[in-house]
Amino acid sequence: MKQHLLALLLMLCGATLTFAQRTISGKVTAENGEALIGASILVKGASGTATDVDGTFSLNVPANATILEVSYTGYASQEITLGASNVVNITLKESITQLTESIITGYGASQIKRTLTGNIAKLKGEDIQNLPVPSVEQGLQGRTAGVFVESVNGKPGGAIRVRVRGASSITASSQPLYVIDGVPITVASQNQNGAALNPLADLNFNDIESLEVLKDASAGAIYGARAANGVVLITTKKGRSGRTNIEFDIQRGIGQPSGYREFLNTAEFIQYYTEAANNTDVVDGVDPNDSGSTTTFVKNRFKRYSGYADYTKQEIETDWQDEAFRTANSTQASLSASGGNDKTRFFASASLSDQEGILVGNAFQRLSTRLNLSQKASERLTLGMNMSLSRTYTNQVPDDNAFSTPLQLIALAPITPVRDLTGRLYDRPTATYYNGLIDVEDAKRDIISYRTLANATASYQIVKNLTLTGEVGADIYNLRDNLFASRRTFAGQGTNGTGNSLYAQVVNINTKAYLNYNGKISERQNLGFTVGTEFQRSRQDRTNVTGTEFPVDDLKTLASSAKITVGNSTLTEFSFLSYFGRVNYDFDRRFLLTLSGRVDGSSRFGINNRFGFFPAASAGWVISEEGFMENSPFSFFKIRASYGLTGNAEIGNFQQLGLLGSASYNGVSGLSPNQIANDDLQWEKTGQLDIGIDFAILKDRISAEIDYYNKNTFDLLLNVPVPGTSGFRTQTQNIGRVENRGFEFVLNGRVLDGAFKWSTALNLAFNQNEVKELAPGQDIIDQGSARLMNVVKVGAPLGVFYGAEYAGVDPQNGDALWYLNTPGKERETTNDFNLVQYIELGSPQPTVIGGFTNTFSYKGLELSVMFQGVGGNSIHNGAGEFMSANANWFDNQTKDQLSAWKKVGDITNVPQARLGYVNGNQSRSSRYLEDGDYIRLRSATLSYQLPSSVLGKLNLSKLRIYLTGQNLLVFTKYTGWDPEVSSDAFVDNVTSGVDFYAAPQPRTVVLGATIGF
Amino acid sequence: MKANKIFLLVLTLGLSLNACQDQLELKPAQSIADTQASANESNVKAVLIGAYDAMAEGDLFGGNTLRNAELQAGDDEILWVGTFFDPREIFNKTMQTANRDATELWLDGYNAINIANNVLAFLPVVAEKDRKTVEGEAEFIRALVYFELVRFFGKPYVAGQTNSQLGVPLITEPTRGIDEKSQVARSTVEQVYAAVIADLIKAEANLPQTNSWRASSLAATALLARVYLQQGDYAKARDAANKVISSGKFALLADYADNFNRDANSSEDIFAVQVTDQDGINNMNTFFSIPDFGARDGDIEILDGHLNLYPTGDVRKDLFFDGAGAMRTGKWNNQFGNIGLIRLAEMYLIRAEGNARLNASVGATPLADYNTIRKRAGLAEATAVTIDQILLERRLELAHEGFRIHDLKRTKQAVGKFNYDADKLVFPIPFREIEVNKALEQNPGY
Repeated sequence: MKQHLLALLLMLCGATLTFAQRTISGKVTAENGEALIGASILVKGASGTATDVDGTFSLNVPANATILEVSYTGYASQEITLGASNVVNITLKESITQLTESIITGYGASQIKRTLTGNIAKLKGEDIQNLPVPSVEQGLQGRTAGVFVESVNGKPGGAIRVRVRGASSITASSQPLYVIDGVPITVASQNQNGAALNPLADLNFNDIESLEVLKDASAGAIYGARAANGVVLITTKKGRSGRTNIEFDIQRGIGQPSGYREFLNTAEFIQYYTEAANNTDVVDGVDPNDSGSTTTFVKNRFKRYSGYADYTKQEIETDWQDEAFRTANSTQASLSASGGNDKTRFFASASLSDQEGILVGNAFQRLSTRLNLSQKASERLTLGMNMSLSRTYTNQVPDDNAFSTPLQLIALAPITPVRDLTGRLYDRPTATYYNGLIDVEDAKRDIISYRTLANATASYQIVKNLTLTGEVGADIYNLRDNLFASRRTFAGQGTNGTGNSLYAQVVNINTKAYLNYNGKISERQNLGFTVGTEFQRSRQDRTNVTGTEFPVDDLKTLASSAKITVGNSTLTEFSFLSYFGRVNYDFDRRFLLTLSGRVDGSSRFGINNRFGFFPAASAGWVISEEGFMENSPFSFFKIRASYGLTGNAEIGNFQQLGLLGSASYNGVSGLSPNQIANDDLQWEKTGQLDIGIDFAILKDRISAEIDYYNKNTFDLLLNVPVPGTSGFRTQTQNIGRVENRGFEFVLNGRVLDGAFKWSTALNLAFNQNEVKELAPGQDIIDQGSARLMNVVKVGAPLGVFYGAEYAGVDPQNGDALWYLNTPGKERETTNDFNLVQYIELGSPQPTVIGGFTNTFSYKGLELSVMFQGVGGNSIHNGAGEFMSANANWFDNQTKDQLSAWKKVGDITNVPQARLGYVNGNQSRSSRYLEDGDYIRLRSATLSYQLPSSVLGKLNLSKLRIYLTGQNLLVFTKYTGWDPEVSSDAFVDNVTSGVDFYAAPQPRTVVLGATIGF
Repeated sequence: MKANKIFLLVLTLGLSLNACQDQLELKPAQSIADTQASANESNVKAVLIGAYDAMAEGDLFGGNTLRNAELQAGDDEILWVGTFFDPREIFNKTMQTANRDATELWLDGYNAINIANNVLAFLPVVAEKDRKTVEGEAEFIRALVYFELVRFFGKPYVAGQTNSQLGVPLITEPTRGIDEKSQVARSTVEQVYAAVIADLIKAEANLPQTNSWRASSLAATALLARVYLQQGDYAKARDAANKVISSGKFALLADYADNFNRDANSSEDIFAVQVTDQDGINNMNTFFSIPDFGARDGDIEILDGHLNLYPTGDVRKDLFFDGAGAMRTGKWNNQFGNIGLIRLAEMYLIRAEGNARLNASVGATPLADYNTIRKRAGLAEATAVTIDQILLERRLELAHEGFRIHDLKRTKQAVGKFNYDADKLVFPIPFREIEVNKALEQNPGY
C-alpha cells in the first residue's frame, strides 16, 4: 500500500523531468518461481511501474539511473544495481519479519512496525481468506494476542463476544469499536425473533485487506471516548495498477456438531424414574400401590409419554439429540477483480455464502458485492469511494432459553415417539414439553438484512507531505424480521397462529476532515502528525407489528390477521462530535515519540460532563540502532512504553435523564417513571499503561514481542441495585473500578527456510481481571437469581461464579450436602441450602488465551495448522438443574445421573433421585460448575498450488486447491457439548460462561478451489 | 477543476456538520423528562393510569398473587407440574431466598406503590373537580398492594392481639433520589394493616360510588370487608359487605360460568384487573390453563381432592374439564380475559360468615345469604347452616381465585404438615433486597 503511494508520488515528480532514457524489462518472481503480480518497480528518485499478470514489467528509466527498487507486500524489498543489460530478472524473498510491515493507525495514517510505539495487532486478510465461518471476528480468534473471541454458540450468524485485554465494563458494552474504512459501524443486534444476530456477519471478509486491533492507550486514544475496549480497524482491498486480476473461489463443505452429551435411553429412563418415584413415596410415607402415590403418578406419566406405544415393551427408543442436529451443508463462492492504471484503481467483488446450521431449521446466507475505486483527479487531488452492498438471510431458531429451540428437545423422554401413527409430530401432553420440531415444520423466522457501507474520500495535497482529507461515510442497516408461527406451534397456539413483523433501520452518518503530515524536519529527524475533526450521528427506527387469529396456516402475512395485538414504532438517536490529533516524532529512527489525544462530546453524556479529553503518550528506543549493540545477537531490539486515557461511551442512549415512559391500561394511555436522572453521568475511563519490547534474532528470522499492560477502568457505568422499596431496581451511576493486567507474548519465526519451509506464529496472553471497587459500602452486585450465579464482587474477577459449595452426598441418607462456609463453620456440611453462605467458586473469564499456527510448505504444497485455546475459566451448566438433577422432574437426564445414591453407605456425587423433590439440584452450586479449559484444533488447511509452468499452459495465473477443517478436535475436561460457550439467552458483561442448551460449534470440512485469470 | 470543487464540497459538508454542537442535544422519543409528571393535570392523571398498569403486572394482580395463594395452599387439591422452579418452591413450601416470584412481587409491588405515591404528591395540580377521585384511586391501589405484600411477607394477622410481627416497609412518599434514607426497615403487621385501612377509608370517602372499571367507593368498601375479615374483625367485615350488597349497584349473574373469561366487567364484578389483547397479561391463564388457550403446558392440575368436594348437581363443578392430560379449571381459559379481584358473591359470603360468627342477621340471615350462593350453583336450598358449611361454600364458590391460603391462615387451619403460622408459609424477604437494604430483617426460617 505504502509502496504504491510512494510509487505514484514518485511517478508524479518524475513526469516533470526529462532525461535521456532507456527501457528496462524483466520479470519478478517469488522463490518458488511464482510470478508476482503488481510488484512495484521504481527508479530511485524517478519513474516507476508495476509488474503485469505474468510478473513482467517494462520501464523507461533515465540513462543515468543506477538503482532499481523492487518491492512487493509480504516480500523483502530489493535494490538492484543496473548494469549494461536492459533485461533484469528479480527473485524476491518473502519477508522474514513483520518489522517492515506497514501498520494502519487510523485517519489515513500508517506507520512502519519498527517505529511504532503503541500496541497494534495486525492480521492480514489473506490469513483468514476462505475460512468456513460466517463472521470476521472468528478470524481473529487465536490469531491476535490478547484478543479473546468467543462464538456464543454454534448458530451461524449468531452473536460473538470479543474482549480486548479483558473485560472492563459491567453495564456498558465491552465490545471493541469496529471501524470499516474509516466509518465506525453499527454492531448492535436488531432482530427480535429468535436468537440475536450479529450485524458484522453482513461483511464478506474475503474483501478485507487487513485488520488492525488497537490495544493500548497510545494506539487507541485517537478514538477517544470509544477506544477503551480496543478498536478494530478493518481496511478493505484496493486495486493495484497493472493488468486486471480476476480470481474465482468456490468451496463446498459439511458441518457436524463438534460434541455430544449422553442421555438416558428408554430402559434406563423407565428404571430410573420408577426408582425416583419409589424414593419419593418412601419420603412421603405413601404406599407405592396407592392411587395417590408418586409411583402411580409416574406410571401414568409413562403411559402418557409413550403415545401409541406400550412403554412396558420398551419398543420406542428416540434419540432426541439426534433429532435436534443435522449434517449442515455449506457453499461459498466469490469472484473478485482488481486492477487499474496510473490514475484509476479498482477492486470489485461479489460473493455468496450459504451455510446451514447444525441445528435443524437454522440457516444463514449472505450475498455481497463491493466496489472500491480511487481516482487521481489531478496531481494533488485523489478521490475515492468504497461501497459495499450486502444481503443476509437467516432462518433463525429461538434462543437457548425457549422450549421451541431445537436443543431443548433433549429434555423429552426417550420413550416418546417423534410422531404419531398418522405421521404428526407429537406435542404435549404426549411429549413432556413442547416438541420443538413443530417449530421447524410450522414456524418461520425469516430475517433479512440489507446493508450498505459506503464512504467517499477526497485527499488534497496542499504542499509536499501535507495532505488534507475530507470523508463522508454511511452505514445503512435495514433489517426485516418476519415471524409466522402456526396454530400448532407454541407461540401460535390458542390464538390460531401468530405473526410478527419488525422493520428496523439504523442509519449511521459519519463525516470527518483531517490533515496529515509526514516528513523530515532535518536529515535525522522525522515528523508526522494528524489533526482533525469528526462527527457521527446514528438514528435507529423500529416499527413492530404483531397479529393473531389467522384463517388458515397458509396465510402467513399480517394482512390475514384478524387481530393486531401490538403495533408500535420507536426511535432513538445518538451523536458524537470530536476533535483529535496525533504527533509522531523520531530522531534517527532510534528515539521514537508519539503524542495523541481526542476531545469527544456526546448526546449520551450528562449536561455537566458533555465533553471528555483523552490524551496518551508513548515513547520507544530502538536499541539495536545503537553502536554498542553492533555485535549483539539481536538484529532488532526496541523498548517502548505508553500511557494514556481512553473512554467507553457505549452506555446506551439517554441514560443520564430522569424519564417518564409510557404505560397503558385498558386502552387508556398513561405515564410511569422509569429512570432516575443523573446529570453528572459520563463515559467510563480507562487509564492504561503498556510496556513492551520487540526484538528479532537471526537476521530478523525470529521476532518476538513481549508486553506488560495494566488497564485500570474507573468511573464505571453501573446499574447499581437500589432498595426495591424506592420503586426502582437500579440507578445508572459512574461508580467502581475494574483492573485488567497481564502479559502478552508474540513469537513469529521462519524455522526452516529452504525448499521445505516451516513458519510458526505463537501468541499467548495472560490476563488477571479484578473488580477493585463498587459503590461506597458495596462489595457485591448480586441480582439474586436462583438459576445464574455470575456476580460482581470486589476482589474477584468480573462475573465470578458465586454460589454454594457442593459437598457431595450424605452416605447415610442420599441427601445432597453443602459446605456451610459461614464464619467458624466453613467445613461443616448441611442439607439445608438456605443456611449456606455463598462463596466464589470460579471465574467465567479465562486467565490465559492463545493461538499457535504452524505452516509447512514444499513447492506448491502447504499445510497450515492452527491451535487455539483458553484456560483458567469455569463453565456453569445452567441447565444442569434440569438435565442433571437426579430425576427431580421429567426432563430426560444425563447418563451420569445413573450413579445416584441408592443405599446406606453409597459414596457418590449424585444425590438420591426423588421425583418432585429438590435434592441437590439448586443451580447456584458448584455441583454444576466445571473446568472450562480447552485447546482446539481450530483450523487446518492443506492446499496445493499449481506451479506457474503448468499455469502458463492453462492460461491461468493461479490455481489452488484446498481442504480446510474447522474445529476438528478439541481437548477439554468439560463434559458438555462444547467448552466454547456462553448461551445466547444468558450473556452480558457479567453473565457469561453459562451453558444452557447452547449448541456446540460446528466441525466443518470444506473442499475448495481458487482460480486466478 | 471539477474534482477540486467536489473536494471542496465534501470538505465544507464535513466541516459544517462538525460545527454544529447543538447536534449533541438529542431528546428521547419514547420518554419525557420526569419533571413533566406534575406539569399539568392531564399528566398527573396519566401517571395514575401508570399506577393501574403497574398494579396489573403479571407478578402482581396480573395473576401471580392469586396463583401463589393457590399454590401455597394447594396440597391435596392442586398439583404444580410446571418446569418453573420458583412456583414449585412455593407449592412445596421450600422457597429459596432468591425465589424469583417473591422478588418480583416485592419489586413490582413497590413500583406500583411509588407511582401511587407520586400521584398523591401531585394532587394540588389536579383541579378540585377531579382531585378527590384521583386521590381515592391512588389510595385504593396503594392499599390493594400493601395488603397483598403484608399477607405474603409477614406472619398471619392474629385477631385480638397487637400484631408486632414484622410486615413490610411502609413507604408513603414518592422517591426523588437514592440515599441512606432509601433504606427503610420493616413496619409491623399491625402498622401495615392500619395503613391499608386508613387508605381504604379515605378512598371510600373520596371516590364516587361506582366508577366504571376504575376503583370506586364501593370497591374500597368491598376491599375493606376483605381486610377486616382477614383480621378476624367480623362485625366490621360484615358491615362493609352489607354496605356493598345493599347499595344495589351490583347483582349476581344468573349463570355462575359467566363470571369468568370475560373481556369486560359484569354486574357482579366490583373490581377487576382489565386485560385486553393489546395490553396487560393474564397469568392465571398462563399457569392454570392449557396450550389450546394460549397458556403454558398446563402447569397446574386440579386433583380429585378438590373435585370431590362438590355435591352432585353443582354447576360449579361443570366448569372443570379434561385438558392436556389432566383436569383443569375452566375459569381461566381466556388469554386476554379480565382477572376478577372482587365480586359480589364474596360479599355475600363475608356477610354470611360475619353474621353467623356473631349470631346476627344484619342485612340478611346467614342462611339466606348461603342459599343465595347455593341457588345460583344449582343446588337445593338448605334449611340450616353452620360456619363450616359457609366456609366450604366459600372454598367452592371462590375456588382458584386466589383466596385459599389466606382463608386457611385466618381460620388457623394447617396446610398439610405445616401449621397455619409456620415459617415456611411466609415468603422470604428477597435476597437482592437484603443485600441492598441493611435495615431489613429476614423472616424466621430463611
